[in-house]
Parts: sequence; C-alpha cells; structure tokens
Amino acid sequence: MEKDVLIRVESTSKKYCRSLKRSMIYGISDICRNAVGMSSKSHKLRKNEFWALDNISFELKKGEVLGIIGPNGSGKSTLLKLLNGIFWPDKGQISIIGRVGALIEVGAGFHPLLTGKENIFLNGAILGMTKDEIRNKFDDIVNFSGIGEFLDTPVKHYSSGMFVRLGFSIAAHCEPDVLLVDEILSVGDINFQAKSKKKIMELLDKGTAIVLVSHNLNLINNLCKKTVLINKSSPCILGKTSDIIEKYREIVWGNNKNFENYGTGDITIGSIDVLNNEFRKSYDFRKDEQIILKFNYHAENEIEDPVFTLGIFNDDGIQVTGIRTDNDKIMTGTFYGRGSFDLIIEKNFLLPGIYSISANVYEKRGIAFYNRVINISEFKISGSKGVFGYIDIPHKWNFK
Amino acid sequence: MNKIKVYTPDNALQNGYFFIIREIFAELKNNKWLILQLFKRDLLSVYKQSMLGVLWAFIFPLVSVGTFIILNRSGIFTIGETGIPYSVFAITGMAFWQLFATGITSASGSLVKAGSMIVKINFSKKSLVIASLGQSVISFLVQIILLVILFVYFGLTPEWKIIFLPLFAVPIILFAMGFGFIFSILNGIVRDIGNIIAILMTFFMFLTPVLYPKPETGLLAKISEFNPMYYMVSYPRDIILTGQSDIFNGFYISALLSVFIFFICIFIFHLTESRVSERI
Repeated sequence: MEKDVLIRVESTSKKYCRSLKRSMIYGISDICRNAVGMSSKSHKLRKNEFWALDNISFELKKGEVLGIIGPNGSGKSTLLKLLNGIFWPDKGQISIIGRVGALIEVGAGFHPLLTGKENIFLNGAILGMTKDEIRNKFDDIVNFSGIGEFLDTPVKHYSSGMFVRLGFSIAAHCEPDVLLVDEILSVGDINFQAKSKKKIMELLDKGTAIVLVSHNLNLINNLCKKTVLINKSSPCILGKTSDIIEKYREIVWGNNKNFENYGTGDITIGSIDVLNNEFRKSYDFRKDEQIILKFNYHAENEIEDPVFTLGIFNDDGIQVTGIRTDNDKIMTGTFYGRGSFDLIIEKNFLLPGIYSISANVYEKRGIAFYNRVINISEFKISGSKGVFGYIDIPHKWNFK
Repeated sequence: MNKIKVYTPDNALQNGYFFIIREIFAELKNNKWLILQLFKRDLLSVYKQSMLGVLWAFIFPLVSVGTFIILNRSGIFTIGETGIPYSVFAITGMAFWQLFATGITSASGSLVKAGSMIVKINFSKKSLVIASLGQSVISFLVQIILLVILFVYFGLTPEWKIIFLPLFAVPIILFAMGFGFIFSILNGIVRDIGNIIAILMTFFMFLTPVLYPKPETGLLAKISEFNPMYYMVSYPRDIILTGQSDIFNGFYISALLSVFIFFICIFIFHLTESRVSERI
C-alpha cells in the first residue's frame, strides 16, 4: 500500500438476511462450502438477503480522523465491524496495517463476577494485549478509570458509569494504530468525558488513525477533515466534511419532512412563503440576511384578534426560536376571508443548516388553537462556519 | 513495519493449506496468555458464587455410580464381573468419560456463551473453545483425588503405571476438543446442536462400557469394538487398576484417530469461524 495509508477499503459490501431461519440455513451452507474449500459465492444475493452496506470505498492515513455519518440503519456499525475484522466482507477488500483498537461498547468482555482487577487482565488479553503490556500499563489504566478503591470489587456491583469508565480505560490503553470509535465520547460524567477526549487527542498526536462514527455533527465537523456519508439509497460519498454534512442534512431532512395540519378550521394558514429582501421566494439564505415570512390565511368565520405564533426548528428537531404576536403585544385585528401578512426577520442569527417552520393560530387568549401547521415551509442557511449551539450571536473578541 | 491484514470474501480460502496450518499454530502460540485468562475466568466465575464450588465435580459421578450400585443390588440390572470393587471400577471409568462428555458439551457451548463478546471484539475464538475445556480438566483432576481416597479406603495399591494417567487423558481431550470446535460453530448458528449433544452424551454413556465391563457377546460387544471411547476409557482403567490390558491396539488406533480428528476439526474451524460472528 501507499506510504502512510493504514486503511484501504475498496468497493466493500456486506449482506444480511432478513429471515432468521434462512440465515441459519445459509450459515450452515456457507460453512460446509468453506470447510471443503469452496467459495461461498457471497457476491450473489440469495432469497431474503439484502445489502446492508453497499460498495464503500475510502482510505485513511496515519494521524488522520475520518468521520462516518449516515442515517440510522445505513450500515455504520456494520462498517466498523468489517474494519475490526469481526466478519469478512461479501464483496470487495479491506486492507489494514497495524493493531486495530475499538471503542465500541467498551466493557463488552467483562465478567460480572470478576473483580475490576481480574477484569483488567481478562479484558486486556481479549483486546490483544500481552501480559507484560498489561502489567506495565496497569497503574495507568486504574488511575485513568478513577475506580480507585473498587478495584477488588466484582464489576457487577459497579455503577454503570464506573463500568464504562474502566472499559474505556482498558481499550484506550491498547495503543492501537487504528482506533474505531462509535459515539464513545459521551461516556461517563463531564470530567471523564473531558479526560477521554484528551486521551483520544493524545493518541491522534502519536499517529493513531481514527475512524469516528457519530451523529454529533459538530464533533465530526471539528475533528474530521474528510468524512464518508453512507446511505442505503445512494452510493457512498467521501469528501470534505462540511460538504458531506450538508448532503447528510438534506438526506435526513428528506426522511423527516412530514407536513401536519390540525385544528378547528375557523381560520387556517394555507401557506407561508419564505421571501428574501427583494420579496422574491427563496430557499437559500446567508447568515444575517433578512428573511420575510409571508403568511397566507383563510378565515371561514369572523375572528377577533387571533394570536399568531411561529416556531423555527433546526434539523435535529430542536426549536431555535419562537415568535408570538401576544408576546410582542400586538393586537392583530379582525380576520375574515382570504389574506396575507408578513413577519420580517431583519437579521437572522442562525447557524448553517436546514430549518423548518411551524405556525399556530390561537384564539385571543392564546390557549385554544384554531389551526396548527407543522413543517409548513423550510429554508436553508448556507455556510460552513462551525459554531456550537443553536444560534450565532454577534460578538467581538478583545485580547489585551 | 506491521504486517498488512487483508479481509476479503471467503478470506480463509485465499491461502494454501500450508499457510493455513502455520496461521493456526501462530494463533495458538500468540494466544497462550489469553487462553489462560479465559480459563481463569471460567473457573472463577463457576466457583465464586457457589457454596459447594469444586465439590460439584464429585457429585455427578457419585450420583451416577450410586444409581448403578442400587440397580445392581436390587437385581434390575446385572453388572458383569469387574474383579475389583465396583465403585473403584465405575469412578475410574466415569472420570475419563466425564472428561470427554463435559469437555465436548462446554466446548460446544463456548461460542454461544460468549456471543455478545464475539460480535463486538475481534479476538481468537479458538482460545475460547480451548479454554472452555479447562473446566473439565479440573473436574477430572478432582475426580482422581476421589479415586485416591477410594484406593485408600479399599486398601488397594495402584499399579505404578498410574503415573501415565495424565498422558492417557490427552487423546480424550483432543477428541472432545476436535468435536467441540465443529459443534461450537454449528451451535452458534443453529442452537439445536447444543441440545442434541446433551442428549447424545447421556445416550453414548450407556452405550459405552463405562459403568459396566464390556459384555463378551451381543450387540453391545459389537458396537464397543468400533467405539473409540470404549478404548480410551477402558484401556487407561485396565492399566491403572490391573496393570495390564489386551486392548492396547484399539487404544493406540483411537489415540491416533483423536489426533487426526483434532487437526481436521481445528482446520475446518479456522476456515469457518468468522461465519459465527455473522449469525450468532
């Protein structure tokens, strides 16, 4: 392989079977074929089989972090298992140099009746460490995990936090050349999380290559230069993280975009147009750009001073802001028939991403609603600036 | 520089037979410490939360032998002439038989028991199967102690050839381990295998002259002649208790057979082991 390349995945695929009974039959037949030296012809799908992972290719060099993102069920865990060598691909080829370590469900090899100390040796051995290696690192492992006085207690009496801390500590001290990480950075309390992130950064500085699977897009954005997006219905793409995250958002968005409409129907919001500062319909906005939301309503009966509310939701489904006419002390007046009015957001502080709009019309006290529309419109804020949180408030630094 | 690992479909078939054999031996050599750790885990986990602990190794043979003694005394079942106190005869036989039966049973279940670990961590699964037999070896040693107690009780002097006793156990261990390799994989995919083995072991115990001497004539005598377990149990027993045996050839052939089976089975295991993690 090329210099410094630690992992090369070439058009790799893996299939699974939907039916357990058939899976047993296929398993036996594959075993019999392999046992007599015949190929299992794994590139062909048999009845009830499907590709859980299809045609994945990428490369990873020393000291790099590769992000892997994809919607649920896209095969991320399967990919990690293939990289870990737990099972073989059904098509393609994976080449790996060096020791592979995994921070996947740490503590998997623990035996509940054994003490922490006994489990360190057992788990270390299972993870491929030698006797001397474990002896040398024993104190580090114990100190890092912070289990202290519980070292001689059976792990079944550990709190779940202690359990994963010890598991993480052993796995992280294996000094792998390639580290597979699956959402592990959220193990333990906040102090341990800080410690574990620091440990991973140290490994990275030593030249360990990391494959990071996460739904935390901020983390992926900050840690990975390159990211692979895997998705059932489309081929996998490898690219610059910010581009890949944008594609991912569109896919996830497409899966969740369900318009919902409830209410008594006395007054309804037919549509909300998203307009730019030239009053033209638009989808793509920059941060800070003016956004005008044009509400088109239809009142069946005469309605006095209804309350209009608007919610803007980000692609995680979290409400970023809520605007209400009653909070703004506005009497909306009398509504009858069809009409429209505008809500002007002069400067949006939104982060890059896709946003969805939901709205309500309440009766004048703001409790019972006439109409509620969810996901009635959407717009996108472009850009790649990585900011944590939900909004980007205007700010300046002052270092003296 | 580290070696490149390559994973492809039917990975194990990519290389020649010679390479595979070398790979198997390298794996066993590199994982000695892991095997020891797994063995320790099995041992500790069985005895830690148990009152009787290692005494359980006495209980099963005592109960089975006791049943036979009762059946014999009440005339329901006639045990042939054994020449030495029946309990000594039966306990010796049971020690060897149990080594085989519990060995094959625990080996067959070893992968299923570690299923959650197998699908998460890539480690030597051969070590898991091998370590699972450690339990049976410990039980065997405990039963030998029971035997010594019986020798003292009946005032018998064992033949000097008793020092070969550990050696006699080797073919049985290889035999059980060999089948254990195959059954553990099959059991990982189809759980029925475990149940079948448990039932068959009881059946085979009565089919094999363990608790009774080999009949001179009849169907059972014929079957015993082709039953390697008959030789592997009876030959060591004859040697320990009487110092001589006329079935050395049978034992010799059975021992060779067990070595052969062990190698064939570990080879097949090597070719097929990753299939288990897919479907366990």
